[in-house]
Parts: sequence; C-alpha cells; structure tokens
Amino acid sequence: MLTLYRPGTGWLHRAPAGPKALALLVIVLAVSLMPSTWLAAAVGAGVAVACYLVPRIGLAELGRQIVAVRWIIVVTFGFQVIFLPLESATANTVRVVAAIVIAALLVLTTRVGDLLDAFELGLGGFRRFGLDPARVALVLAVAITTVPVLARIAVGVRESQRARGARAGIRSFVIPFLVVSLKHADDLGDALTARGVA
Amino acid sequence: MTDQVTTPRPAPAGIRSRIDATDIARIAVFAALTAVLGLPGGFAVFGSVPITAQTLGVMLAGAVLGAWRGALAMLVFLALVALGLPLLAGGHGGLAVFVGPTAGYLLGWVVGAFVVGAIVHAGGRRLTWLRTSVGVLVGGILIVYAVGVPVSALVLRLPLGPTALGSAVFLPGDLIKAAITVVVTMTLVRAYPRALRARPSVRA
Amino acid sequence: MTASLVFDDVSVRLGDRLALDSVSLVLDRQRTAVIGANGSGKSTFARVLGGLVAPSGGSVSVFGVDPVRQASAVRRLVGFVFSNPDAQIIMPTVAEDAAFSLRSERLPRAESAERVRLALAEFGLTELADRAAHDLSGGQKQLLALVGAVIRRPQLLIADEPTAFLDARNSRLIADHLLAPTDRSLVLVTHDLDLAQRCDVAVLFEDGRMIGHGDPADIVARYESSLSC
Repeated sequence: MLTLYRPGTGWLHRAPAGPKALALLVIVLAVSLMPSTWLAAAVGAGVAVACYLVPRIGLAELGRQIVAVRWIIVVTFGFQVIFLPLESATANTVRVVAAIVIAALLVLTTRVGDLLDAFELGLGGFRRFGLDPARVALVLAVAITTVPVLARIAVGVRESQRARGARAGIRSFVIPFLVVSLKHADDLGDALTARGVA
Repeated sequence: MTDQVTTPRPAPAGIRSRIDATDIARIAVFAALTAVLGLPGGFAVFGSVPITAQTLGVMLAGAVLGAWRGALAMLVFLALVALGLPLLAGGHGGLAVFVGPTAGYLLGWVVGAFVVGAIVHAGGRRLTWLRTSVGVLVGGILIVYAVGVPVSALVLRLPLGPTALGSAVFLPGDLIKAAITVVVTMTLVRAYPRALRARPSVRA
Repeated sequence: MTASLVFDDVSVRLGDRLALDSVSLVLDRQRTAVIGANGSGKSTFARVLGGLVAPSGGSVSVFGVDPVRQASAVRRLVGFVFSNPDAQIIMPTVAEDAAFSLRSERLPRAESAERVRLALAEFGLTELADRAAHDLSGGQKQLLALVGAVIRRPQLLIADEPTAFLDARNSRLIADHLLAPTDRSLVLVTHDLDLAQRCDVAVLFEDGRMIGHGDPADIVARYESSLSC
C-alpha cells in the first residue's frame, strides 16, 4: 500500500538514488521556474513526456500519474481561470502538473530503502551541526513502518465504535484513536530501547 | 545503511542528546498519525463533509509533543512526503508538492506545530483551556496561513489578496479542527496523562 | 556455574503503587517461567531485568552487570520480545528489520547480511526476506520479533507474554522456538500455564511480591489452587 515504486530494470531504475534525485530535482525546479506562457507550457509538457519516454517508462505510466493528480488539475485550473487570463492559467496548471509527474519518477523507479540510504548519505554534511544522519534515517524508517499500523488501528477503532452504535465523533473516535496511538508509541519506544537504540 | 563505521564523536549539546528512543517513537508516531489523517475516508467530522484532517495532526503534534518534538514530527512527515510516499491528502507526495501551490502551507505546518507547542506548554506544567485554545489558534491557523498564503501567491503568480480570499474557504474547517484539538488535548490530560509529560517516566 | 540473574531486595514504585515489593531472587542459566495475575508484578520484573525500568530500591545483576548503570552492556547481553507484534517492527522490510538489531554492533555489511540470512533461515522466514514487514501474519511478525532479539546472540532472552496476541497454532510455533534448547537463558512471562510447565523453573508473583519459586509443576499447581478458592 505504502509505496509508489514500480519494479523495473531500466537504466533509471538502476541509477544510484542520490544522483538520480538531484538530477530530477534540477529538472523539476527548471520546469517550475518557467514563465506563464503558451510556449513554456508546451516546453513543460514536452519535458515531462521526454522524461517518461527516454528511460522507457512509457506514456501509459505518465497517463496513470496524470489521472492520479486530476483533482489538482481541476482545482488549480478552476481557481486560476477566475483570476488570470487563459494563457497564464493553462501554463501555470501545465507547469505544476509537469513538475509533479517528473518528480514522481524518483519514487516510481527507486525503492524507499535506497532513498533512505541516499538521504542519510546526503545528510552527512550536517553532522558538524550535531545532526546524526543515522538517527534521522531511523526516525524516518520508523515513521514509514508506523503508517500502515496506525491506519489499521484507525479502522479497528472505527469498527468497535460502530459495533457499539456510536457515531463518528471526537469522543468516540479521535480520543480512543489517539490513546491507542500513543500507547503504540510507548511500546515502540521500548522495542527500540531493547534493540539497542539509546 | 546502518552498518557504516562512524568515527566516535562527542555528543553534541544540540537536539540530538535530548532525543531518546521514546522521543523517536513519538515523533515517528505523530508523523504517521498526520499521514493517516490524510487517508481517504480516514476521518469525517460532520457527517460526510470531506475536510482534510491533516492539519489536525499538525495541531495535535504541537499540543501533545511540545514545540521541538512537534515540529520535528512535522519535519519527519514532510521528509516522508519528499521521499515520495503518497501521504498528503488525496494520495499526493514526492518532491513536486514542495514546488506546488501548497508548499508554503507544508512549511507552515512545521513552524505552526512549534508555535502551538510553545504556547500550549509555555512555562507552567499544567495545561489550561485558555492557553491551549490560544496556542492552537495562533500556531495551528494564524502561523500556517501566514506562511502558506504568500508562498501560494508566489507559485501561482497571483496577487496576495485573491490568494488569501481563496484560502479562506478552508478557514471554517480549520476552526473546527482547532476546537477538536483543544477538546482532545484537554481530555488527554485525564485519559492518558503520560502523553503530555515532557519526559515520560518508567512504565508499569 | 555461578548465578546469572540476581535480584536483591528490589522494589519498584510506579506512581503511588508498589509494582515490585522487596523481591529477592537468584536464577541460574536456565529457562524460567514467570506467572501470576495481571498487575502482579511479573511484567515489571521482566522490564527491570531487561533494563527498561529502573528499580526504586535494591540491586539487580544480570551476568554481573547492573542494568541501570551499565545500560549499553546489558543491551548486548539481553534480547527482549514483547507481546504486540506490530509494535516491535522497526524497519519496512523483513530483512531490514532483522538487520536493524545489528546496527549498534557496527559489523561489516557482508557479515551483517550473513547473520540476517542465517537468522531468517532458522525461523523459516527466508522466503519473506524482501516482503514488507507489515504484510506478515501475526505469527510471522512475532517470529520476526524473535529474530530481532536473538540475532544479537544475547545470553538472556526475555519474553513478556510473547503469545498473548496469537492464535493457538502460532502460539505453539513461537513457544517451540522459545523453548528450544540453546545455551542462552530464557525468562518467559506468560499466562499460558502449559507453557510455564515446559520451563525448567517457575516463579510466581502476587501483588508485587514473589511468593513462589521452584519446580514448574508445583508452582503452577499452587497458582491454580489460589485461583479456585
């Protein structure tokens, strides 16, 4: 559930996570900084298509990504077209969508574990400021692991509240959910301590 | 990633030395909580009005964890989003959201959680309804909008006025979430007092 | 063999309650069952032993190490398995989670990977190595928790109601792994009296005090008779 990764063997999949992230970041930033004109919109869309075609990810995947952000498109364009000329509204929307789908390539082609490693490596420079990259990576990993657990806890709390005929509300849902989550945090803290985290 | 050999270093006097295993767990859990509040159908307060509950996570993180840990929980959440996990309401994620129109709000969440925590836990040990309410309103709404609206205007290349006006549609929902946060926090004082202690003591 | 675990007049105060009340006990290298009602202090006993709770009074020795003052030394000696399978998974995938326990040992990558491979094989998780840890069943998660504890090769394994969240079949699976003869000691906190009988020695707690220590059959019989009257 919790990963957007699509297994593959192309060169973008095999590229090291750190440089890949940097390269995509540069492209995304370049696209984001383009002016609000028809030409820029065409260039942005072209770059996005190229980013999916060149590493052979395919237009089908690009289509899936665009469908996934359809609401952003509707809201961004709908809101903009009220205040701005059609050209600016269209260009701004295309720019935002292009940036999103290009950035998505990183997670489509990189495992979360590899990204975490690259992230930890990238943080190495901050060590002199008292930041422990390993500890930061640990917090991130624990958080990633915890999301599906809390999602399951939320479903459980909602079911038990329904079983008792209560409606979704603060007292019947939010507070029990929070208490169970905090209890989970304390158990997790014990497990971390027991497994050697000081 | 974990077995690289690092040279021994003196424990810095910064944040690190104060973050222990329990803090790691709590920061991670509140980051995850904020993610879960954004899941589809995760939570609807009044009937079926689909308001994103993620800012509830922002306010709760500050109010329950305090300023530093609350802000760190939000940073962790945003780091997960940046890593590409589809955790923002609607299943969005990736670096792109940080160049999108809502980027400022995300940054505002970090500052906002900090301010909520700083005000709610200001000075005294006991939480009061007044201070909790003020903290949640100022940190959870005022600060978030103060950071979010200008960035949104910048990205969309719109003037500030219409952008602020557009953002105001979320205000009623945020006020509801602020009220929920205050009630939940004050109830938590009784339901799970250990939650609000700065340094959790030993457990049974 | 000298005594490995020593409790000398240990008390633990939690809030205004005495969770452990002057417990003195000597345990040898063996498999020890800890039984008693909820809130009797057996869990606190295990947590003190594992260095998760500091005693308010008295002294504790785990293979000659003080769990409070020599916390990192005791971490190397003791592995801990808790009841909730979900709250023990730290890393996203099975192999990564197993490897997590080794990070404080700073082993070379290859050696760490080899130890992970061996441990996963021992507990029948080899096929699942690259799976998301949270997609496992409850029993498999608890096996993974066990891997996370024993991969550090602890001299003492503490298990605090490790089968409480599991069905009968998985309970038996976990129990068989826990009780398999090894050269490490085991302290097993459990409500499962059949499980307790399979240990070498049993300890009975009531209201924070240790009220029995000896042959598992005798101790379990004593506990059962106290329940019936």
